[in-house]
Amino acid sequence: MEGRGIELNIGPVHPATHGVLKLVADIEGDTVKNAKVEIGFLHRGKEKIAELRYFNSYFPIVDKLDYVGALNWEILWASTVEKAMNLEINDRVKYIRAVMAEIQRIMSHLVYIGSFGQDLGNLTFFIWALRERELLMDIVEEISGGRLAPMYNRVGGVFYDFTDGIADKINTALSKIEEKVKKEYRAMTYENSLFIMRSKGIGIMGQKVIKENGVTGPNMRASGIKRDLRKDEPYLVYDKVDFEIITENDSDVYARFMVRVREILESIKIIRQLLKDMPKGDAKISAPWIMKVPAGYTLVRHEMSKGEGAMFLVTDGGLKPYRLKIRSPSFYSLQALPLVLEGCKVADAFVITASMDPVMGEVDR
Amino acid sequence: MNDFTDKLLKAFPNGLKASDGGTIELTDKKKLLKVVERVRKNFDILFMLTVVDRPPNFELNYVFSKYEGRDILILRTLIKHEESIDSITNLFPSADWEEREAYDLFGIKFDGHPNLKRILLPEDWPGHPLRKDFVVTDEIKNWTGLDLKF
Repeated sequence: MEGRGIELNIGPVHPATHGVLKLVADIEGDTVKNAKVEIGFLHRGKEKIAELRYFNSYFPIVDKLDYVGALNWEILWASTVEKAMNLEINDRVKYIRAVMAEIQRIMSHLVYIGSFGQDLGNLTFFIWALRERELLMDIVEEISGGRLAPMYNRVGGVFYDFTDGIADKINTALSKIEEKVKKEYRAMTYENSLFIMRSKGIGIMGQKVIKENGVTGPNMRASGIKRDLRKDEPYLVYDKVDFEIITENDSDVYARFMVRVREILESIKIIRQLLKDMPKGDAKISAPWIMKVPAGYTLVRHEMSKGEGAMFLVTDGGLKPYRLKIRSPSFYSLQALPLVLEGCKVADAFVITASMDPVMGEVDR
Repeated sequence: MNDFTDKLLKAFPNGLKASDGGTIELTDKKKLLKVVERVRKNFDILFMLTVVDRPPNFELNYVFSKYEGRDILILRTLIKHEESIDSITNLFPSADWEEREAYDLFGIKFDGHPNLKRILLPEDWPGHPLRKDFVVTDEIKNWTGLDLKF
Protein backbone atom coordinates (compact mmCIF):
# COMPACT_ATOMS: atom_id res chain seq x y z
CA MET A 1 0.00 0.00 0.00
CA GLU A 2 3.01 2.23 -0.44
CA GLY A 3 2.11 5.78 -1.43
CA ARG A 4 -1.66 5.33 -1.36
CA GLY A 5 -3.36 7.37 1.28
CA ILE A 6 -6.91 7.86 2.41
CA GLU A 7 -8.81 11.11 2.34
CA LEU A 8 -10.35 11.61 5.74
CA ASN A 9 -13.08 14.11 6.46
CA ILE A 10 -12.91 15.48 9.99
CA GLY A 11 -16.02 17.42 10.90
CA PRO A 12 -18.00 19.56 10.39
CA VAL A 13 -18.23 19.37 14.16
CA HIS A 14 -20.99 20.60 16.38
CA PRO A 15 -21.18 24.31 17.29
CA ALA A 16 -21.12 23.55 21.02
CA THR A 17 -17.41 22.90 20.75
CA HIS A 18 -15.52 25.32 18.52
CA GLY A 19 -18.00 25.89 15.80
CA VAL A 20 -18.43 24.21 12.51
CA LEU A 21 -14.99 23.56 11.13
CA LYS A 22 -14.18 20.91 8.56
CA LEU A 23 -10.78 19.42 7.91
CA VAL A 24 -10.03 17.26 4.89
CA ALA A 25 -6.88 15.33 5.62
CA ASP A 26 -4.85 13.07 3.38
CA ILE A 27 -3.59 10.37 5.67
CA GLU A 28 -1.13 7.62 5.17
CA GLY A 29 -1.13 5.05 7.91
CA ASP A 30 -1.53 7.19 10.98
CA THR A 31 0.14 10.31 9.64
CA VAL A 32 -1.48 13.38 8.18
CA LYS A 33 0.28 14.09 4.87
CA ASN A 34 -1.53 17.30 4.20
CA ALA A 35 -4.73 18.90 5.33
CA LYS A 36 -7.20 21.35 3.92
CA VAL A 37 -9.35 23.60 6.06
CA GLU A 38 -12.88 24.34 4.96
CA ILE A 39 -14.66 27.22 6.60
CA GLY A 40 -17.83 29.15 5.94
CA PHE A 41 -20.40 26.89 7.61
CA LEU A 42 -21.33 29.67 10.01
CA HIS A 43 -21.30 32.53 7.51
CA ARG A 44 -24.14 34.91 8.33
CA GLY A 45 -23.14 37.84 6.17
CA LYS A 46 -22.32 40.15 9.06
CA GLU A 47 -20.41 42.57 6.83
CA LYS A 48 -23.45 42.85 4.60
CA ILE A 49 -25.77 43.31 7.57
CA ALA A 50 -23.57 46.23 8.71
CA GLU A 51 -24.50 48.12 5.56
CA LEU A 52 -28.19 47.79 6.36
CA ARG A 53 -28.17 48.87 10.02
CA TYR A 54 -27.74 52.02 12.08
CA PHE A 55 -24.44 52.21 13.90
CA ASN A 56 -25.94 51.48 17.32
CA SER A 57 -28.19 48.74 16.01
CA TYR A 58 -25.16 46.76 14.98
CA PHE A 59 -24.14 45.83 18.54
CA PRO A 60 -26.32 42.72 18.77
CA ILE A 61 -24.69 41.51 15.54
CA VAL A 62 -21.16 42.15 16.80
CA ASP A 63 -21.98 40.14 19.91
CA LYS A 64 -22.32 36.97 17.93
CA LEU A 65 -19.05 37.36 16.08
CA ASP A 66 -16.96 35.69 18.73
CA TYR A 67 -19.59 34.28 21.01
CA VAL A 68 -17.16 33.56 23.80
CA GLY A 69 -15.54 36.99 23.60
CA ALA A 70 -18.50 39.21 22.82
CA LEU A 71 -17.52 42.20 24.96
CA ASN A 72 -14.14 42.54 23.28
CA TRP A 73 -15.79 42.91 19.90
CA GLU A 74 -18.43 45.27 21.25
CA ILE A 75 -15.73 47.54 22.61
CA LEU A 76 -13.88 47.42 19.29
CA TRP A 77 -17.00 48.37 17.35
CA ALA A 78 -17.83 51.18 19.78
CA SER A 79 -14.26 52.48 19.58
CA THR A 80 -14.32 52.36 15.79
CA VAL A 81 -17.47 54.43 15.49
CA GLU A 82 -16.27 56.82 18.19
CA LYS A 83 -13.02 57.34 16.31
CA ALA A 84 -14.92 57.92 13.08
CA MET A 85 -17.07 60.53 14.85
CA ASN A 86 -14.12 62.02 16.71
CA LEU A 87 -15.96 61.43 19.93
CA GLU A 88 -14.10 61.48 23.23
CA ILE A 89 -15.43 59.18 25.93
CA ASN A 90 -14.92 59.92 29.60
CA ASP A 91 -12.43 58.19 31.84
CA ARG A 92 -14.91 56.17 33.80
CA VAL A 93 -16.26 54.56 30.65
CA LYS A 94 -12.71 53.72 29.59
CA TYR A 95 -12.07 52.00 32.90
CA ILE A 96 -15.37 50.15 32.82
CA ARG A 97 -14.65 48.95 29.30
CA ALA A 98 -11.16 47.82 30.20
CA VAL A 99 -12.48 45.85 33.19
CA MET A 100 -15.15 44.23 31.06
CA ALA A 101 -12.64 43.45 28.31
CA GLU A 102 -10.36 41.68 30.75
CA ILE A 103 -13.24 39.78 32.37
CA GLN A 104 -14.23 38.65 28.90
CA ARG A 105 -10.64 37.65 28.13
CA ILE A 106 -10.55 35.43 31.22
CA MET A 107 -13.89 33.89 30.27
CA SER A 108 -12.70 33.26 26.74
CA HIS A 109 -9.48 31.63 27.92
CA LEU A 110 -11.45 29.47 30.36
CA VAL A 111 -13.61 28.25 27.50
CA TYR A 112 -10.40 27.53 25.63
CA ILE A 113 -9.10 25.42 28.50
CA GLY A 114 -12.45 23.65 28.74
CA SER A 115 -12.88 22.83 25.09
CA PHE A 116 -9.24 21.87 24.86
CA GLY A 117 -9.83 19.31 27.58
CA GLN A 118 -12.87 18.08 25.74
CA ASP A 119 -10.81 17.53 22.61
CA LEU A 120 -8.27 15.64 24.68
CA GLY A 121 -11.09 13.42 25.84
CA ASN A 122 -11.10 14.70 29.38
CA LEU A 123 -14.49 16.13 30.19
CA THR A 124 -13.48 17.12 33.71
CA PHE A 125 -11.56 20.12 32.39
CA PHE A 126 -14.61 21.26 30.55
CA ILE A 127 -16.84 21.14 33.60
CA TRP A 128 -14.24 22.77 35.81
CA ALA A 129 -13.44 25.57 33.40
CA LEU A 130 -17.11 26.33 32.88
CA ARG A 131 -17.65 26.32 36.63
CA GLU A 132 -15.06 29.06 37.05
CA ARG A 133 -16.43 30.93 34.06
CA GLU A 134 -19.85 30.92 35.66
CA LEU A 135 -18.53 33.11 38.49
CA LEU A 136 -17.68 35.80 35.97
CA MET A 137 -20.82 35.19 33.95
CA ASP A 138 -22.85 36.09 37.03
CA ILE A 139 -20.92 39.34 37.33
CA VAL A 140 -21.45 40.24 33.69
CA GLU A 141 -25.10 39.41 34.15
CA GLU A 142 -25.39 41.65 37.16
CA ILE A 143 -23.73 44.54 35.35
CA SER A 144 -25.25 44.26 31.92
CA GLY A 145 -28.26 41.99 32.17
CA GLY A 146 -26.87 39.67 29.53
CA ARG A 147 -24.64 36.65 29.70
CA LEU A 148 -23.24 35.33 26.47
CA ALA A 149 -24.22 38.34 24.40
CA PRO A 150 -24.37 41.16 26.91
CA MET A 151 -25.10 44.09 24.54
CA TYR A 152 -23.51 46.33 27.12
CA ASN A 153 -21.71 48.92 25.04
CA ARG A 154 -23.02 51.75 22.95
CA VAL A 155 -21.42 54.43 20.86
CA GLY A 156 -20.29 57.04 23.39
CA GLY A 157 -20.47 54.91 26.50
CA VAL A 158 -22.01 51.92 28.19
CA PHE A 159 -25.63 51.17 28.99
CA TYR A 160 -25.36 50.90 32.76
CA ASP A 161 -22.85 52.02 35.33
CA PHE A 162 -21.31 49.45 37.66
CA THR A 163 -23.72 48.36 40.35
CA ASP A 164 -23.01 49.04 44.04
CA GLY A 165 -20.53 46.70 45.61
CA ILE A 166 -19.66 45.02 42.33
CA ALA A 167 -15.94 45.65 42.87
CA ASP A 168 -15.93 43.39 45.93
CA LYS A 169 -17.82 40.70 44.08
CA ILE A 170 -15.38 40.83 41.18
CA ASN A 171 -12.43 40.62 43.56
CA THR A 172 -13.93 37.62 45.34
CA ALA A 173 -14.54 35.83 42.06
CA LEU A 174 -11.05 36.63 40.84
CA SER A 175 -9.44 35.27 44.01
CA LYS A 176 -11.38 32.04 43.58
CA ILE A 177 -10.34 31.70 39.96
CA GLU A 178 -6.74 32.52 40.77
CA GLU A 179 -6.64 29.81 43.39
CA LYS A 180 -8.24 27.24 41.10
CA VAL A 181 -5.91 28.04 38.21
CA LYS A 182 -2.84 27.93 40.42
CA LYS A 183 -3.76 24.73 42.26
CA GLU A 184 -6.42 22.55 40.66
CA TYR A 185 -5.55 23.40 37.08
CA ARG A 186 -1.91 22.81 37.76
CA ALA A 187 -2.56 19.35 39.07
CA MET A 188 -4.98 18.54 36.30
CA THR A 189 -3.24 20.10 33.34
CA TYR A 190 0.08 21.81 33.14
CA GLU A 191 1.94 19.71 35.66
CA ASN A 192 0.07 16.55 34.94
CA SER A 193 2.27 13.97 33.22
CA LEU A 194 -0.55 12.61 31.05
CA PHE A 195 -1.43 16.07 29.86
CA ILE A 196 2.19 16.88 29.13
CA MET A 197 2.56 13.67 27.13
CA ARG A 198 -0.37 14.63 24.96
CA SER A 199 0.68 18.20 24.36
CA LYS A 200 4.45 18.66 24.50
CA GLY A 201 6.38 18.68 21.27
CA ILE A 202 3.44 18.42 18.88
CA GLY A 203 1.89 21.00 16.59
CA ILE A 204 4.92 23.19 16.34
CA MET A 205 4.15 26.52 14.74
CA GLY A 206 7.42 28.30 14.13
CA GLN A 207 7.97 32.01 13.70
CA LYS A 208 8.22 31.64 9.92
CA VAL A 209 4.74 30.13 9.62
CA ILE A 210 3.40 32.75 12.00
CA LYS A 211 4.87 35.67 10.11
CA GLU A 212 3.84 34.35 6.72
CA ASN A 213 0.26 33.81 7.71
CA GLY A 214 -0.37 36.83 9.87
CA VAL A 215 -1.04 34.85 13.05
CA THR A 216 -1.36 37.08 16.12
CA GLY A 217 -2.31 36.87 19.75
CA PRO A 218 -1.57 34.03 22.17
CA ASN A 219 -0.72 31.65 19.30
CA MET A 220 2.02 34.02 18.25
CA ARG A 221 3.23 34.72 21.78
CA ALA A 222 3.67 30.98 22.31
CA SER A 223 6.52 31.18 19.81
CA GLY A 224 8.40 33.85 21.63
CA ILE A 225 7.28 36.91 19.67
CA LYS A 226 6.73 39.58 22.27
CA ARG A 227 3.85 41.59 20.95
CA ASP A 228 0.61 42.69 22.50
CA LEU A 229 -1.42 45.63 21.24
CA ARG A 230 -2.31 46.50 24.80
CA LYS A 231 1.38 47.41 25.22
CA ASP A 232 2.45 48.23 21.66
CA GLU A 233 -0.48 50.44 20.80
CA PRO A 234 -2.22 51.13 24.12
CA TYR A 235 -5.92 51.84 23.89
CA LEU A 236 -8.52 52.47 26.62
CA VAL A 237 -6.44 52.71 29.80
CA TYR A 238 -3.89 49.97 29.25
CA ASP A 239 -1.04 52.48 29.40
CA LYS A 240 -1.92 53.14 33.04
CA VAL A 241 -1.75 49.58 34.29
CA ASP A 242 1.25 47.44 34.96
CA PHE A 243 1.35 44.02 33.33
CA GLU A 244 3.66 41.68 31.47
CA ILE A 245 3.40 40.34 27.95
CA ILE A 246 3.27 36.58 28.40
CA THR A 247 5.51 34.62 26.06
CA GLU A 248 6.61 31.01 25.78
CA ASN A 249 9.38 29.71 23.57
CA ASP A 250 8.46 26.15 22.62
CA SER A 251 5.78 27.04 20.02
CA ASP A 252 4.03 23.72 20.58
CA VAL A 253 0.57 22.87 21.86
CA TYR A 254 1.74 22.98 25.45
CA ALA A 255 3.20 26.46 25.00
CA ARG A 256 -0.03 27.74 23.48
CA PHE A 257 -1.94 26.31 26.42
CA MET A 258 0.45 27.81 28.96
CA VAL A 259 0.24 31.27 27.40
CA ARG A 260 -3.51 31.24 28.00
CA VAL A 261 -3.22 29.97 31.55
CA ARG A 262 -0.66 32.64 32.42
CA GLU A 263 -2.66 35.31 30.66
CA ILE A 264 -5.60 34.56 32.91
CA LEU A 265 -3.43 35.37 35.92
CA GLU A 266 -2.15 38.50 34.17
CA SER A 267 -5.69 39.66 33.40
CA ILE A 268 -6.63 39.16 37.03
CA LYS A 269 -3.74 41.46 37.93
CA ILE A 270 -4.98 44.08 35.46
CA ILE A 271 -8.56 44.01 36.73
CA ARG A 272 -7.42 44.44 40.34
CA GLN A 273 -5.41 47.53 39.42
CA LEU A 274 -8.24 48.97 37.35
CA LEU A 275 -10.79 48.48 40.12
CA LYS A 276 -8.49 50.21 42.57
CA ASP A 277 -8.04 53.31 40.39
CA MET A 278 -11.56 53.45 39.00
CA PRO A 279 -12.39 57.18 38.73
CA LYS A 280 -15.70 58.61 39.86
CA GLY A 281 -18.01 60.16 37.36
CA ASP A 282 -20.94 59.10 35.33
CA ALA A 283 -20.96 56.71 32.46
CA LYS A 284 -23.47 58.85 30.65
CA ILE A 285 -23.76 58.25 26.94
CA SER A 286 -22.81 61.24 24.84
CA ALA A 287 -24.19 60.25 21.46
CA PRO A 288 -27.75 59.85 20.21
CA TRP A 289 -29.12 56.46 19.20
CA ILE A 290 -29.38 57.27 15.52
CA MET A 291 -26.70 59.57 14.23
CA LYS A 292 -24.75 60.49 11.13
CA VAL A 293 -21.08 59.65 11.00
CA PRO A 294 -18.80 61.87 8.89
CA ALA A 295 -17.43 60.38 5.70
CA GLY A 296 -14.03 58.79 5.82
CA TYR A 297 -11.96 55.72 6.57
CA THR A 298 -11.42 54.44 10.09
CA LEU A 299 -9.19 51.58 11.12
CA VAL A 300 -9.08 50.49 14.75
CA ARG A 301 -7.42 47.40 16.11
CA HIS A 302 -7.55 45.88 19.56
CA GLU A 303 -6.03 42.89 21.25
CA MET A 304 -8.82 40.31 21.37
CA SER A 305 -8.59 37.13 23.38
CA LYS A 306 -7.56 35.39 20.15
CA GLY A 307 -5.26 37.94 18.59
CA GLU A 308 -5.36 41.25 16.82
CA GLY A 309 -8.90 42.05 15.78
CA ALA A 310 -9.57 45.06 13.64
CA MET A 311 -12.39 46.88 12.01
CA PHE A 312 -12.07 48.93 8.85
CA LEU A 313 -15.05 51.22 8.62
CA VAL A 314 -15.84 53.19 5.49
CA THR A 315 -18.51 55.84 5.94
CA ASP A 316 -20.19 58.16 3.49
CA GLY A 317 -21.70 60.65 5.92
CA GLY A 318 -24.96 58.76 6.21
CA LEU A 319 -26.82 56.98 8.98
CA LYS A 320 -25.38 53.59 8.14
CA PRO A 321 -21.89 52.28 7.36
CA TYR A 322 -20.95 52.22 3.70
CA ARG A 323 -18.71 49.24 4.21
CA LEU A 324 -17.38 47.42 7.23
CA LYS A 325 -14.55 44.94 7.06
CA ILE A 326 -13.82 42.81 10.09
CA ARG A 327 -10.41 41.29 10.64
CA SER A 328 -10.81 38.20 12.70
CA PRO A 329 -7.66 36.81 14.32
CA SER A 330 -8.89 33.21 14.19
CA PHE A 331 -9.21 33.49 10.41
CA TYR A 332 -5.45 33.85 10.14
CA SER A 333 -4.72 31.16 12.72
CA LEU A 334 -6.76 28.72 10.66
CA GLN A 335 -4.95 29.78 7.52
CA ALA A 336 -1.76 28.53 9.16
CA LEU A 337 -3.36 25.34 10.46
CA PRO A 338 -2.64 23.08 7.42
CA LEU A 339 1.06 23.86 7.71
CA VAL A 340 1.03 22.96 11.40
CA LEU A 341 -0.94 19.75 10.85
CA GLU A 342 1.47 18.45 8.22
CA GLY A 343 3.16 15.30 9.45
CA CYS A 344 1.26 14.96 12.71
CA LYS A 345 -0.66 11.91 13.90
CA VAL A 346 -4.39 11.78 13.28
CA ALA A 347 -5.11 11.58 17.00
CA ASP A 348 -3.08 14.74 17.55
CA ALA A 349 -4.88 16.66 14.82
CA PHE A 350 -7.80 17.40 17.12
CA VAL A 351 -5.56 18.61 19.90
CA ILE A 352 -3.59 20.83 17.53
CA THR A 353 -6.76 22.31 16.09
CA ALA A 354 -8.11 22.95 19.57
CA SER A 355 -4.85 24.57 20.64
CA MET A 356 -5.31 27.28 17.98
CA ASP A 357 -8.50 28.41 19.70
CA PRO A 358 -10.57 29.01 16.58
CA VAL A 359 -14.04 30.36 17.15
CA MET A 360 -15.94 29.89 13.96
CA GLY A 361 -18.36 32.70 14.61
CA GLU A 362 -15.62 35.22 14.03
CA VAL A 363 -13.89 33.26 11.27
CA ASP A 364 -16.97 32.97 9.09
CA ARG A 365 -18.55 36.28 10.06
CA MET B 1 4.34 60.93 7.34
CA ASN B 2 7.23 58.71 8.24
CA ASP B 3 10.42 58.04 6.33
CA PHE B 4 9.33 54.84 4.72
CA THR B 5 6.28 56.39 3.11
CA ASP B 6 8.41 59.23 1.75
CA LYS B 7 10.93 56.81 0.32
CA LEU B 8 8.19 54.74 -1.23
CA LEU B 9 6.63 57.78 -2.83
CA LYS B 10 10.00 58.89 -4.21
CA ALA B 11 10.75 55.45 -5.62
CA PHE B 12 7.54 55.42 -7.67
CA PRO B 13 6.86 59.01 -8.70
CA ASN B 14 4.52 57.97 -11.52
CA GLY B 15 2.60 55.19 -9.85
CA LEU B 16 1.97 56.46 -6.32
CA LYS B 17 0.57 59.52 -4.67
CA ALA B 18 -0.10 60.44 -1.09
CA SER B 19 -3.70 60.55 0.04
CA ASP B 20 -5.53 61.55 3.20
CA GLY B 21 -4.45 60.23 6.58
CA GLY B 22 -1.15 58.71 5.48
CA THR B 23 -2.76 56.46 2.90
CA ILE B 24 -0.85 55.85 -0.30
CA GLU B 25 -2.77 55.66 -3.53
CA LEU B 26 -1.61 53.44 -6.34
CA THR B 27 -2.62 55.07 -9.59
CA ASP B 28 -1.11 52.49 -11.92
CA LYS B 29 -2.30 49.02 -10.97
CA LYS B 30 0.36 47.38 -13.16
CA LYS B 31 2.96 48.54 -10.66
CA LEU B 32 1.24 46.77 -7.74
CA LEU B 33 3.69 43.90 -7.44
CA LYS B 34 6.72 46.18 -7.68
CA VAL B 35 5.33 48.46 -4.98
CA VAL B 36 4.35 45.58 -2.72
CA GLU B 37 7.80 44.06 -3.11
CA ARG B 38 9.19 47.31 -1.81
CA VAL B 39 6.65 47.34 1.02
CA ARG B 40 7.77 43.89 2.06
CA LYS B 41 11.16 45.25 3.03
CA ASN B 42 9.53 47.10 5.89
CA PHE B 43 6.32 45.24 6.69
CA ASP B 44 5.73 41.65 7.78
CA ILE B 45 2.14 40.83 6.95
CA LEU B 46 -0.88 41.83 4.98
CA PHE B 47 -2.97 42.76 7.98
CA MET B 48 -6.24 42.94 6.08
CA LEU B 49 -7.59 43.60 2.62
CA THR B 50 -10.68 45.77 2.54
CA VAL B 51 -12.57 45.92 -0.70
CA VAL B 52 -15.09 48.72 -1.10
CA ASP B 53 -17.55 48.69 -3.95
CA ARG B 54 -17.90 52.15 -5.47
CA PRO B 55 -19.64 51.46 -8.76
CA PRO B 56 -18.27 51.24 -11.41
CA ASN B 57 -15.04 50.66 -9.47
CA PHE B 58 -13.75 48.47 -6.74
CA GLU B 59 -11.49 50.13 -4.24
CA LEU B 60 -8.93 47.81 -2.71
CA ASN B 61 -7.35 48.87 0.58
CA TYR B 62 -4.31 46.78 1.40
CA VAL B 63 -3.37 47.22 5.05
CA PHE B 64 0.17 46.15 5.93
CA SER B 65 1.42 45.72 9.44
CA LYS B 66 4.50 44.71 11.38
CA TYR B 67 5.30 42.52 14.34
CA GLU B 68 6.96 45.39 16.15
CA GLY B 69 5.60 48.77 16.97
CA ARG B 70 2.43 50.33 15.70
CA ASP B 71 3.24 51.10 12.07
CA ILE B 72 0.55 50.52 9.52
CA LEU B 73 0.53 51.24 5.82
CA ILE B 74 -2.61 51.51 3.75
CA LEU B 75 -2.22 51.11 0.02
CA ARG B 76 -5.30 52.00 -1.97
CA THR B 77 -6.03 51.24 -5.57
CA LEU B 78 -9.02 51.36 -7.87
CA ILE B 79 -9.98 48.80 -10.47
CA LYS B 80 -12.97 48.57 -12.77
CA HIS B 81 -15.60 45.95 -11.95
CA GLU B 82 -14.68 43.74 -14.88
CA GLU B 83 -10.92 44.09 -14.47
CA SER B 84 -8.61 41.72 -12.65
CA ILE B 85 -5.59 42.51 -10.49
CA ASP B 86 -2.32 40.77 -9.67
CA SER B 87 -2.31 38.52 -6.66
CA ILE B 88 0.23 39.39 -3.98
CA THR B 89 0.25 35.92 -2.41
CA ASN B 90 3.79 35.26 -3.62
CA LEU B 91 5.04 38.24 -1.65
CA PHE B 92 2.68 38.09 1.30
CA PRO B 93 1.35 34.54 1.85
CA SER B 94 -1.07 35.95 4.42
CA ALA B 95 -3.00 37.40 1.47
CA ASP B 96 -4.15 33.93 0.40
CA TRP B 97 -7.46 33.70 2.23
CA GLU B 98 -8.08 37.44 2.06
CA GLU B 99 -7.96 37.38 -1.72
CA ARG B 100 -10.20 34.33 -1.83
CA GLU B 101 -12.65 36.20 0.35
CA ALA B 102 -12.56 39.22 -1.96
CA TYR B 103 -13.19 36.90 -4.90
CA ASP B 104 -16.01 35.21 -3.02
CA LEU B 105 -17.87 38.29 -1.86
CA PHE B 106 -17.07 40.73 -4.68
CA GLY B 107 -16.05 38.58 -7.64
CA ILE B 108 -12.63 40.16 -8.10
CA LYS B 109 -10.22 37.97 -10.06
CA PHE B 110 -6.67 37.84 -8.75
CA ASP B 111 -4.16 36.84 -11.43
CA GLY B 112 -1.64 34.31 -10.22
CA HIS B 113 -3.49 33.22 -7.09
CA PRO B 114 -2.74 29.51 -6.52
CA ASN B 115 -6.20 28.49 -5.37
CA LEU B 116 -8.81 31.09 -6.21
CA LYS B 117 -11.98 29.42 -4.95
CA ARG B 118 -14.88 30.59 -2.87
CA ILE B 119 -14.10 30.46 0.82
CA LEU B 120 -17.08 31.59 2.90
CA LEU B 121 -19.96 30.81 0.57
CA PRO B 122 -20.73 27.44 -1.04
CA GLU B 123 -19.06 26.79 -4.36
CA ASP B 124 -22.26 27.00 -6.39
CA TRP B 125 -23.69 30.11 -4.75
CA PRO B 126 -25.07 32.46 -7.39
CA GLY B 127 -23.65 35.97 -7.24
CA HIS B 128 -21.37 38.06 -5.08
CA PRO B 129 -23.35 39.44 -2.14
CA LEU B 130 -21.21 42.36 -1.02
CA ARG B 131 -21.51 44.17 -4.34
CA LYS B 132 -23.77 47.18 -4.15
CA ASP B 133 -25.72 46.00 -7.19
CA PHE B 134 -26.49 42.65 -5.59
CA VAL B 135 -30.19 41.81 -5.60
CA VAL B 136 -31.88 38.78 -4.14
CA THR B 137 -33.14 36.97 -7.20
CA ASP B 138 -35.42 33.95 -7.42
CA GLU B 139 -32.39 31.81 -8.04
CA ILE B 140 -30.96 32.84 -4.69
CA LYS B 141 -34.29 32.55 -2.90
CA ASN B 142 -34.71 29.00 -4.14
CA TRP B 143 -31.10 28.01 -3.66
CA THR B 144 -30.84 24.90 -1.54
CA GLY B 145 -27.26 23.81 -1.99
CA LEU B 146 -28.45 20.36 -2.92
CA ASP B 147 -26.77 20.46 -6.34
CA LEU B 148 -23.38 20.57 -4.70
CA LYS B 149 -21.23 17.67 -5.82
CA PHE B 150 -19.02 16.06 -3.21
